[in-house]
Amino acid sequence: MRKVLILIAIAWLIAITVVHAWLNLHLFDSKRVGIDDHKKFRIGFLPVTCHLTCPVTDFINKQMTGESIFDPVRFNGWPELKEAYLSGYTPATFILAPMAMALREQGVPIKIVYLGHRDGSAVMVHKDSQIYRMEDLHGKRIAVPNRFSNQRLLIFRALKNAGMTPKDVDLVEMPPPDMPAALYAKAVDAISSGEPFMAQTELDGYGRVLWLTKDVWPNFISCVLAVHEDMIKNDRDTVQRLVDGIAKSGKWIDKSMEHRMETAQFVSRFYYNQNPRLLSFVLSKPPDRVKYTNLALRKPDFEEIETLGRSAGILNGSAHFEDYTDASFVTDDSAVQPYAWEPNQNEQRPR
Amino acid sequence: MNSARADAVVEQRSTSAIPPARRIGDPDSLLWRIVRPVGMAALFLTLWGLAVRWSGSDLFPTPGNVASGIVELIRKGLLLKYIVASVFRVSWGFALAVLIGVPLGLVLGWYSRAFQAFNPFIQILRPISPIAWIPVAILWFGVSDAAPIFLIFLASVFPITVATIAAVQNMQLVYLRAAQNFGLSTGELFRQVILRACLPQIITGIRIALGVAWLVVVAAEMIAVNSGLGYLIIDARNAGKRYDLVVAGMVMIGLIGLILDLLVRQLEKFDEVRWGYIGRRK
Repeated sequence: MRKVLILIAIAWLIAITVVHAWLNLHLFDSKRVGIDDHKKFRIGFLPVTCHLTCPVTDFINKQMTGESIFDPVRFNGWPELKEAYLSGYTPATFILAPMAMALREQGVPIKIVYLGHRDGSAVMVHKDSQIYRMEDLHGKRIAVPNRFSNQRLLIFRALKNAGMTPKDVDLVEMPPPDMPAALYAKAVDAISSGEPFMAQTELDGYGRVLWLTKDVWPNFISCVLAVHEDMIKNDRDTVQRLVDGIAKSGKWIDKSMEHRMETAQFVSRFYYNQNPRLLSFVLSKPPDRVKYTNLALRKPDFEEIETLGRSAGILNGSAHFEDYTDASFVTDDSAVQPYAWEPNQNEQRPR
Repeated sequence: MNSARADAVVEQRSTSAIPPARRIGDPDSLLWRIVRPVGMAALFLTLWGLAVRWSGSDLFPTPGNVASGIVELIRKGLLLKYIVASVFRVSWGFALAVLIGVPLGLVLGWYSRAFQAFNPFIQILRPISPIAWIPVAILWFGVSDAAPIFLIFLASVFPITVATIAAVQNMQLVYLRAAQNFGLSTGELFRQVILRACLPQIITGIRIALGVAWLVVVAAEMIAVNSGLGYLIIDARNAGKRYDLVVAGMVMIGLIGLILDLLVRQLEKFDEVRWGYIGRRK
């Protein structure tokens, strides 16, 4: 009897492994033959508009040449994304600018090589609430994605502009995907994170924009593209190709509203698994809600983040622009040309 | 008191003497055994639907929304993929836990000095939630299937080890004396006597551990894997207002948990195990 049981158990393990390999790992997929995925490096990203150039670069490259220059890995939260970078699993990653700077201060070999976007955040309140100005948030609870998020610094800056201090509000950390429901249930009075989670509350009819980032901090940066220092040392050409690709995608997205709408379609369907209506809304209402041009690294932007980060207690000031960035890959944004690709009917679902 | 018990015995005998009735009115008929849980489920689903309607929430899904969410997953071919992925991870994590937990428990239960050395260590590791291990799992295993398997292993190995230790320590001395009289070697003693004597309690531990292993599948799949029922829930949170898919994931996890428990209960029907249960029911 025992032997039969053990045999059943072994047969089960083999069977479930084979089915898993077939359905989820695509090990028996004929399309894979000839494509060597292992030579490609992985990039970590989250399904937010701050990281939009990552899937766009992947998609356009696959449409143009049939092959991407990297392997995008989607994460669901900041801690997991950061840990995958630290473990070496993703040698390149989209990451919060202050988080990358803090990691550098802690001795992690990380270099910011390009920006992910400009603007593209908001502070939302419930449409029934009596909050119309920053001053109305006195004593209220505001959700931010992470202590290292630029949204938190943004709130600090807005508080300062309004003559208030961080002690006047109650800041709580919350994963952005949970924020819309929290606002709906009035568990928090205001929420702040990258898009599309802010636009979602507006689209669903219970959120109201208190302000967009562009109103408080024009050309705001929250996420950047960062790579491992060794990758720059050992494989500079690959990093160059990566940064060029991200820069070309950014220009491509911003070239026309048609491109933005097309981006909303393929990114929602193939990468973010969201309703395309949501990304279409974020990328068009208003059109400068989030921008993907002018993404080269500039020292004054980061010095401002450093100052705010120090006053918020998340940076100690031991690392400077030259330590945590390598701005040499794209020095002049105006020279970057968008990808020469136009959407067509026979787009292939990327593998 | 005594007479009451005697009455009960007589009554039990008299009922067991009658062959299983096929009448509809019989509260033990197959029909009633199906009607009770199904009726309870229907009542629950109705209350759930009414509660959503009365509260006026348009975020929380009704049972109908969830059902159409499950249909959507089936149409996209995702449901089968996700179930396979989760079952794959739980199968391996749990199999490793049994392979390591049972022998470890037998040894620690038998050698009291080893028990003294290892027990505090096990008791320290045991209450740590698998969620706390997520960072460690990512640092050690990256973002592959190995990381969730490791988390499921961690969650299920301790219930098995602890149940096995307790089983060995509480074993009846008479089995050991008999074994010693036959002059068994240590290896034979473990395989022929200790393991068999402890099997009923070990199976109970395994049953609890399988429940725990399946319980942590959501937490284990919070790591950036791109398949699985836990991933389905986390992915649905990313997807905006798709709480129907969140609940659909919960429903599927629950239903598969039910099937797993029914399967493990079959183990208790084997003679090697059944002698250990002085069952209340037939």
